Amino acid sequence: MAAMIRFAGISVNFGDGAGLRDIDLDVPEGALCVLVGTSGAGKSTLMRLVNRLVVPSAGTVTLAGKDIATRDPVELRRGIGYAIQSVGLFPHRTVAENIAIIPALLGWEKRRITERTDALMTMLQLDPALAGRYPHALSGGQAQRVGLARALAADPAVLLMDEPFGAVDPIVRRALRRELAAIHRETGKTILLVTHDAEEALELATLLVVMREGRILAQGSPLELTAMAADPFVRELLGGAGLPLRRLDLLHVRDAVRPGEPEAMAPEIDADASQLDALRLMLEHGATSLVVTEAGSAVGALRFADLDGRGRT
Amino acid sequence: MRTLPVQPVLAALALLGLLGFGWLAVAPNRLVSGTALSSFAALHFWVAAVALLLVAAVPISPRRPALACAALLAALGVALWASGAAAPPLLEGMPPAARVMAGPGFWLFLLTLLLMLTEAARPAAALRRTMPLVLLAMLAALWFGGALDALSLAVEYRARAPQLQDALLRHMLLSAAALALALVLFVPLGWWGFRASRAEAVLGTTLGLVQVVPALALFGALMPLLGALLRAVPGLREAGLETIGATPALIATALYAGLPLWRGIVVGLGAAPRDLVEAAEGMGMTSRRIDWELRVPLGLPIFLASLRVATVQCIGLMTLGGLVGAGGLGAIVFEGMAQFATDLILLGALPVILLALFVDGVLRLVEGRLARWRQ
Ligand SMILES: Nc1ncnc2c1ncn2[C@@H]1O[C@H](COP(=O)(O)OP(=O)(O)OP(=O)(O)O)[C@@H](O)[C@H]1O
Ligand SMILES: [Mg+2]
Repeated sequence: MAAMIRFAGISVNFGDGAGLRDIDLDVPEGALCVLVGTSGAGKSTLMRLVNRLVVPSAGTVTLAGKDIATRDPVELRRGIGYAIQSVGLFPHRTVAENIAIIPALLGWEKRRITERTDALMTMLQLDPALAGRYPHALSGGQAQRVGLARALAADPAVLLMDEPFGAVDPIVRRALRRELAAIHRETGKTILLVTHDAEEALELATLLVVMREGRILAQGSPLELTAMAADPFVRELLGGAGLPLRRLDLLHVRDAVRPGEPEAMAPEIDADASQLDALRLMLEHGATSLVVTEAGSAVGALRFADLDGRGRT
Repeated sequence: MRTLPVQPVLAALALLGLLGFGWLAVAPNRLVSGTALSSFAALHFWVAAVALLLVAAVPISPRRPALACAALLAALGVALWASGAAAPPLLEGMPPAARVMAGPGFWLFLLTLLLMLTEAARPAAALRRTMPLVLLAMLAALWFGGALDALSLAVEYRARAPQLQDALLRHMLLSAAALALALVLFVPLGWWGFRASRAEAVLGTTLGLVQVVPALALFGALMPLLGALLRAVPGLREAGLETIGATPALIATALYAGLPLWRGIVVGLGAAPRDLVEAAEGMGMTSRRIDWELRVPLGLPIFLASLRVATVQCIGLMTLGGLVGAGGLGAIVFEGMAQFATDLILLGALPVILLALFVDGVLRLVEGRLARWRQ
């Protein structure tokens, strides 16, 4: 697949050693690329290169095959959705007006803007009654949904999201995350997301990028980066002692099933369930193997020893 | 933080004014101070009514603001009416030039009572709006009903009414013109100061220095300066500039109003939070759009507050225009000073104060209305 965003030989120099060094990264079209790393690692800086809020001291950023340095920054930015942690809603504009900012900049007709705003509010489960409210009267979760709606308003092919689900409780956070995953699935947008939440990163990423002190330390799929061999810093960042369990959550029962008769009385599990669910079931029932079912009929067995692909080696 | 017991202190001062100093003075003509008259001698048993209403308002002030305001308004009304009623008998048998003037006790009482009223109305928003209207209506009723006609200020007013009305109108026009001049000069400079930090430092210091020059000195110094300028560039004289009159008054007043206006623009434009500006930039707003759609609306409360300060300053400072021949209420004040005629000074100064308070109140109302999107 073609790279939607390509960082080639990028360095950013903020002086006193801060910035980015030797960044090479391809974000394929339709990817959901998650940037993780300690505070100050340069995640936001990397993201802000894409909409030219940061200018590299060396290297090029290409978007859809075109060097962004050759593009008018204003026009470039209007084609990119941008959501930030502090949300950045205009306090003197209503919810509907905030969502409509980019469409208005692009000169859409009034009717089209209204339709789009309504559709986005429905999509992000925002009560239509909120449309006329000012941001100070929103909860943190509502504000973040509005921020997301605003970023999506002009239907950009690329979305930049810098810790978009910062200030909300874990339950709302999970709901927002599911919505983002659904939007990604349905629209196939290329998304660059920064998060400090390892669980969120592993769940959402199709491409996971680990950064440290201005460099990319590792990049790959969540499965690749959670493998035993990965760098200790990466393992620590992605979950430490809990990492084996997070990894099981990424794996499916289907991939570890072996044909044959399971033990008698073994509990049943669906082939599409995660291996973490399988482990949970084993612990609950004190079982060492499970019956794997597909559409209700048994297709094989899953043994404890087969979890996390160990049975195959 | 515990708030100071304001009302008891003010009430004590008001009582001091009522009981401790001369309330009225009877003078053979308008230029001498005359013999003082205590409130007992002038108002008789009405003093008791006023004092009772005043004292009663203190304990109920925090919990029953409306009742406290009513009591204070009643105290004020009774005191004014009784003073007005006391004057004609005092003048009986005196020459026609004789006058009954308000004494220091009267003014102390009036001032502290007005402060008590503001303080009493403070806890209730509705009261803050209605109390001044009721007060004005009461004063208007007393004035136009003739209750105060025999007091010297009213006598002075009747003698000067057309002149005073002209002066008031001219004062308002001059103040408005000075404000307009200040806006034209300093709003663009404020914008520039916001954009360029070097400019901000230089302009800020310069305008700060202007504030340090005593107003009287600035008004005075402008005349020879303008004279020199007009001699050097005769064309300016033909354009209507003069060394005395409105020109120096407008320039000096505008220079003073410059600092609050300029500062308001600089601070107001910078009031938009950084991350908000950055979000706007990231969405593809041009910097001109960010100025108009973000910085200006978010700075509006600050702009308005500085406009209010500058306007009040213009109204007050324009009084000094009387010194340089610009006319206005200041001319009346200085005429009164030259004659040692207290009533004439008050006749010029009171409208300045009332005008400033009125404009301040109206602009505050506008400020309150505008911030719909804020808490
Ligand atoms: N405009 C700037 N000027 C100077 N230094 C900057 C600038 N922007 C970022 N930096 C520095 O660059 C480094 C990386 O910052 P960046 O915001 O990209 O970190 P981050 O990974 O997003 O951190 P966090 O997780 O805390 O948001 C930091 O040391 C920061 O202080
Ligand atoms: Mg960051």
